[in-house]
Amino acid sequence: MSFKYIIKVALYTLIGEGLLLFMGSCKKLIDVQPPVTRVVSSSVYENDATATAALTGIYANMSQAAMDGSGITSLSFLPSLSADELTLIDGYTNVGFTAYYSNALTNLTSPNFWNVIYPVIYSLNEAIEQLEAARTLSPAVKQQLLGEAKFNRAFCYFYLVNLYGDIPLVTSTDYTINSVLKKSPKADVYRQVTTDLKDAQSLLSKVFLNATLINTTKERIRPSYWAATSLLARTYLYTSAYDSAEIQASSVISNAGLFGLTSLDSVFLKNSREAIWQLQPVNAGINTQDAQLYILPDEGPGPNYPVYLSRFLLNSFEPGDRRWNHWVDSVTVGSDVYYYPFKYKINMVPSTVIEYMMVLRLGEQFLIRAEARAQLGEPNAIDDLNTIRLRAGLTGYAGSTDKNSLVAAILHERQIELFTEWGHRWFDLKRTGTVNKVMQTVTPEKGGTWNASWQLYPMPLTELKADPFLVQNADY
Amino acid sequence: MEISIMGKGLRFAIPKLFSPQLHRVMRSSEARSHRTDRKIIFLAMKLTAILIVICCLHVSANSYSQNVNFSGKNVPLESVFSSIEKQTGLSFFFNYALIKNSKPVTLNIQDMPMESALREVLKNQDLDFYLQGKTVFIVKRQINPLGSKPNTSEESVIKQIDVHGRVTNQQGESLVGATVAVKNDKRITLTNEKGIFELKNVLENAVLEISFTGYRQKEIELAGQSVITVEMELSDNHLDEAQVIAYGTTTQRLSVGNVSIVKADAIAKQPVNNPLLALEGRVPGLLVTQQTGLPGTGLKIQIRGQNSINSGLDPFYVIDGVPYTAQLLPNLGNMLGTSSSVGGNYTGNPFSFLNPNDIESISILKDADATAIYGSRATNGAILISTKKGKPGQTKVDFNLQNGWGKVPHMIKLMNSQQYLAMRHEAFANDNSTPSAFDYDLNGTWDTTRYTDWQKTLIGGTSQYTNLGTTVSGGSTNIRYLLGGTYRRETTVFPGDFDNKVGSLQFSLTGSSDNQKLKLQLTGNYSVNNNRLPQVDLTSVAVRLAPVAPKLYNSDGTLNWAPTSSGSSSWTNPLRNLNLPYQNKTNNLISNLVLGYQILPGLEIKSSFGYTNMQQNETKLTPTISRAPETRPTYRRSSQFTNNNINSWIIEPQLVYKQMISKGNLELLLGTTIQQNNSSGLQLLGTGYNSDAVLGDLRSATTVTVSSSVINVYKYNALFGRVNYNWQEKYIIDLSIRRDGSSRFGPASQFHNFMAAGAGWIFSEESFIKQHLPLLSYGKLRGSYGTTGNDQIGDYQFLNLYQPISVQVPYQGITSLGPVGLTNPYLQWEETKKAELGINLGFFSNRVLLNASYFWNRSSNQLLGYTLPVITGFTGITKNFPATFQNSGWEITLSTVNIKSEKFNWTTSVNLTVPVDNMKLLAFPGLSTSSYANSYQIGRSILVNPVVHFLGVDPATGIYQFSDINGKPTTTPDPIADRTILVNTNPKYYGGVENSISYKGFELDFLFQFMKTMGANNFLGYVIPGAAVNQPIDLVNRWQKPGDIASHQKYNEDLTLYGSYSNAVASDASICDASFIRLKNLSLSWKLPKIWTTKFRCSNARLYVQGQNLLTLTHYDGFDPETQSALALPPLRIMTFGMQVGF
Repeated sequence: MSFKYIIKVALYTLIGEGLLLFMGSCKKLIDVQPPVTRVVSSSVYENDATATAALTGIYANMSQAAMDGSGITSLSFLPSLSADELTLIDGYTNVGFTAYYSNALTNLTSPNFWNVIYPVIYSLNEAIEQLEAARTLSPAVKQQLLGEAKFNRAFCYFYLVNLYGDIPLVTSTDYTINSVLKKSPKADVYRQVTTDLKDAQSLLSKVFLNATLINTTKERIRPSYWAATSLLARTYLYTSAYDSAEIQASSVISNAGLFGLTSLDSVFLKNSREAIWQLQPVNAGINTQDAQLYILPDEGPGPNYPVYLSRFLLNSFEPGDRRWNHWVDSVTVGSDVYYYPFKYKINMVPSTVIEYMMVLRLGEQFLIRAEARAQLGEPNAIDDLNTIRLRAGLTGYAGSTDKNSLVAAILHERQIELFTEWGHRWFDLKRTGTVNKVMQTVTPEKGGTWNASWQLYPMPLTELKADPFLVQNADY
Repeated sequence: MEISIMGKGLRFAIPKLFSPQLHRVMRSSEARSHRTDRKIIFLAMKLTAILIVICCLHVSANSYSQNVNFSGKNVPLESVFSSIEKQTGLSFFFNYALIKNSKPVTLNIQDMPMESALREVLKNQDLDFYLQGKTVFIVKRQINPLGSKPNTSEESVIKQIDVHGRVTNQQGESLVGATVAVKNDKRITLTNEKGIFELKNVLENAVLEISFTGYRQKEIELAGQSVITVEMELSDNHLDEAQVIAYGTTTQRLSVGNVSIVKADAIAKQPVNNPLLALEGRVPGLLVTQQTGLPGTGLKIQIRGQNSINSGLDPFYVIDGVPYTAQLLPNLGNMLGTSSSVGGNYTGNPFSFLNPNDIESISILKDADATAIYGSRATNGAILISTKKGKPGQTKVDFNLQNGWGKVPHMIKLMNSQQYLAMRHEAFANDNSTPSAFDYDLNGTWDTTRYTDWQKTLIGGTSQYTNLGTTVSGGSTNIRYLLGGTYRRETTVFPGDFDNKVGSLQFSLTGSSDNQKLKLQLTGNYSVNNNRLPQVDLTSVAVRLAPVAPKLYNSDGTLNWAPTSSGSSSWTNPLRNLNLPYQNKTNNLISNLVLGYQILPGLEIKSSFGYTNMQQNETKLTPTISRAPETRPTYRRSSQFTNNNINSWIIEPQLVYKQMISKGNLELLLGTTIQQNNSSGLQLLGTGYNSDAVLGDLRSATTVTVSSSVINVYKYNALFGRVNYNWQEKYIIDLSIRRDGSSRFGPASQFHNFMAAGAGWIFSEESFIKQHLPLLSYGKLRGSYGTTGNDQIGDYQFLNLYQPISVQVPYQGITSLGPVGLTNPYLQWEETKKAELGINLGFFSNRVLLNASYFWNRSSNQLLGYTLPVITGFTGITKNFPATFQNSGWEITLSTVNIKSEKFNWTTSVNLTVPVDNMKLLAFPGLSTSSYANSYQIGRSILVNPVVHFLGVDPATGIYQFSDINGKPTTTPDPIADRTILVNTNPKYYGGVENSISYKGFELDFLFQFMKTMGANNFLGYVIPGAAVNQPIDLVNRWQKPGDIASHQKYNEDLTLYGSYSNAVASDASICDASFIRLKNLSLSWKLPKIWTTKFRCSNARLYVQGQNLLTLTHYDGFDPETQSALALPPLRIMTFGMQVGF
């Protein structure tokens, strides 16, 4: 019996111990390592390579998105549809494009830019928070990245405020605060943009850097001091701080070592001397999304190529403007001729990449300075205007030199020089107050009805539902 | 203690096969406390022999001729028996108490016949023996083993005898734990692990009542027999059918939890490709919604309504004890529809890879009592699937061949060419414009005299359904096996060669040692699927394509792109989709091993070891030929590949203890779970191929990009216990507790406790009920209350993570990173409190069974994707939601045996579910300042959607108008402030009516499914009416001139009325009654007469016809009120013919 007893005791003990073991080691049994496919954010900003990768991710995403509204680069398309630059084929059934085109956006049809840009701002806010606290990064890397983050935040807000007017100004990552934000007035947003750009100027490199952020490169695909300065010049122009705009634009223009106007066919090539900031294409064998979108096949426009240049823009070209020959091309279908933007020329796939998408370029800086100087009554405004005109094969400006005529001439020049680039035309119409006059003619022709409220895009309905403090723009 | 428990203190002497340690096993707690009262039967027998004790005993008639030798002095009697066992191979069977006081033996015999020798051995003892087969039974001398009357003075008195016996099923297998009660006595015992019981000092004329779960109770008159064998018959009563529950089985009679069960025969009657589809309409409280009619379709499964706002809505699935994934990994099968409540590309359903024919039963566990032991994983209920196992007996071979056809049951009535053209012309007239160069339908490019019924052309085909299954099963008591193989092929209703082929293998092996202590069960299910479909569900094209659109093919057989004079394609030929192949190859293994050992009578230690592995490989090719000719030069060929793997293992050691305590059965369960799931998924995009022919080969791509990769690990660990006490099958209580740990939570809150209690009172067992309500054959009141949780939030949600951004050409040559989402390190377990009250009644000897239950689920602290405005960077965050929600409802089932006779049987079963509250918001602190301020309201279900009220068309302007907040008509309602109508698309009630009628060899079964609900309609067409898209015929009823009363606004093609159209789409105009009654399933079978089957040398043969989705009665005007989609293929009407032959 005693032997049996021992066996029994032993068995019970084993079972008991087994169970205790399970209980005791519970913690261990459910411990998991962070997934190998991802990086824990705290460690992202602990070393130079991953911190750089996080900022580079923003450019990669920008460059990757198609121009159908899925990325910020759609600014070179959708606002052009809203303005008087493009014609959308009749009978086109994509409501997303049609609504922009006929100035008939609703809170259901236009979530594009809002939904695309705010997530980038989150990444930037986190980058700024983490970089400011980072202790293990190389000082030079940290400084450049912080500068890039602030520049990009300014870049994002610049477009948001111009598209939507008053907007929530998110400058932290705390969702509990951000989810119930009210809109901030435009002036506050511009103030933030200016502050960020000045900070960026003090942080960013004055030479173009490669991904090490230490060595230089001839590729101009990371924002530099000059990108911040250029955008600051534009911001001052938009906020009527003309003297500051003139100073900033001059700073860029005077750097002849890095920047200079090129021939018309070279402007949009990669590493062009005119480029202040370009985006490197990330889709293999494809040059730019612009070329994919705009260049029409021999068969002409159709559901797959639904846009071409509007007669409003075409009619604005002066005779002899070489930009007509170099930046516009056409296809003839029967008796109809369709003109299309031809700034970017390579749309065949696959092809060697020789064009990069231009974000900021020197040409605009001349026009900024021209306008600022004109507003300030400085006579050399005409010189800058003529710089652009002469490159286009035109004669110097010969019109009236009063301020209003000169500013109007400069805006006309902007229309021709900057068409289908980054929403310039749409924003110019709005900021100069000519939007109602122009669109009252244009919109009916596009099949819509113009209302002064349509110059601001509506906020998405989902946002209004999710943030009880957000108020929709008027008349939507 | 009065009651003697046979199972207790049993001891085996197993001379040859087992080691001496096993010879002496254990003793029970009772034995320890009452050493002297210990009643131990010392059973000695050979392992290889099966003990079958029969009632009539003959001993000396057939003497045993083998001779034995023995010599020894003062040898214990037990040792003498051992010695004889060794020499003769006989087994000794005796009660240890009997020989406890025996005298030591001193004897010397040489080569004496066994029986003489044994007489010598027992000469001076108070013992006698008899021989039965190869077993020697040692008994008290005063009981005459020969049955002759003992020569004593107590002759006229009814004597007390000791009874022992064995309880088996019809196959002769021992039934362990069967209850043996002495009628009109208080004594009860259970059978031991060999199915043997013993009762001491029972009156020789006593009656024994023997009962066992799932079997009919049996009464045996002893009539003086001391050794009996009882063969139990399976119950044909629903009340006593075995039900698989969490970690065990029970019956409807004894269950205090809410469990519904669907058995193999009901599944076999339905030609379905996913076992979950076989549940539709059969289970109260369960809503199955098929997303498309394609093989491999996504399915949405809800038990007792939606329990969470937008994530973690899946029930917990367990196949043969192994948890099974509720969702596939992100994949490419968009046209299959999603099974996920949160959307995303979690398309298809993992149960498509499980063969319905391999399933023995599906249990649906609903209330706290049934689910709490699954703790964190069963907030949404649990679905347990048990596969078929082998049964002992002759080897049986079964063939089943089924062949059938599927069609789209109902097409949408669309405009014809004249109506379409009239719409288009009128739209241009309304817009004061004329057709442009791109309006190919009107500008002369297309032949407007054409008419094509695109539904007929694109989805009007017939799909083929073939199913061939074979099963081989059989075995002995100790080893049983089953091997099944199935081949199934289904094609689609689309033109082109698309199909889904499935080959599956099911096997099970059940084994036990002769003494039934060691048990083993191995089950496995392996399937190979090859699903080939077009990348686009052609239904969406078929309903929208203009009826005047060009012909599909050119005269040379190539696809017609209907080029304009310039050469530009004027349409997207729908058959281009035939050149857009999708292929999904999935191999799926589910396997489980259960090992059990009985370490003490009533105490079993066991463990299950489960492993699942699902390997999914998808390809999606986009060749140039699928593109319009003019876009081909700028088109870059691409192909996508998915390589997904989900594997998981689980180990669940358990201790099970069964014991009689007082007059009740006590069952204790203690166990632990260690589980790990590994998911890895890789999606690759290859581009830059130089030819369409090589698209399937990733090596031919010039650029390969990883578009997504998933490597997730989920670990789960728990300790659980359950106590069930059943007092005389009258009062039952059930308590369960579980402590869970999950890797999905932050370190601070990884563990949580869940518990539940259930109680039942079978009042029909009370004598006063029996006296006063003789018609009531069964009555049970039951209730349960408990907590369950949910950790279906995805892995790593508490970590703030960055992931690589996939681009084909790295930006500046380096990898780039982007944030994954907002993270919340404070994630906690959510908790759902579930309460339920139920009553089960049986009348007329249980020919009428009525069950009714009412449940309340209250969940708080829900874990979910909390909606955020995107200005926070993301559209949501997983967090504990501060609100409390309630779900409640009624579930009623009624099953009746209408006619029961030798030849004619008719049974009916009705189930009805009436949800009362579904996600009713009870409390939400801080609602007014949250992201949900504009959506939710206290006291209202959050599934109720406030919309703007549609007022039809303004007769003056011809534009849709709506009611503003003050009831005034407006054409521009405020999308938030003017929402005055509450739309609730949750079903008001649903259920099914099943009938089963059999006459001689014929059997007819049919199931009507019904649902009362609101749903999305096609009232407003597919895009704004007037555009170059065909519309439902109802859209001809439009406004044309001032004063017209029309249901639709004027046609418009330049989209100037788009705002008004989209307002209507968002209003209550797009909601209609989607109630339906559907003949879901019909099955007619004819069993061939015996004379025929014997002629063909088969044991049985059956011919049958089956149909699915045969008839739908509804006012709903779209394809199908279940899918409520105009763009997805509706569930098909399937008719099959089949033959089943068994050998």
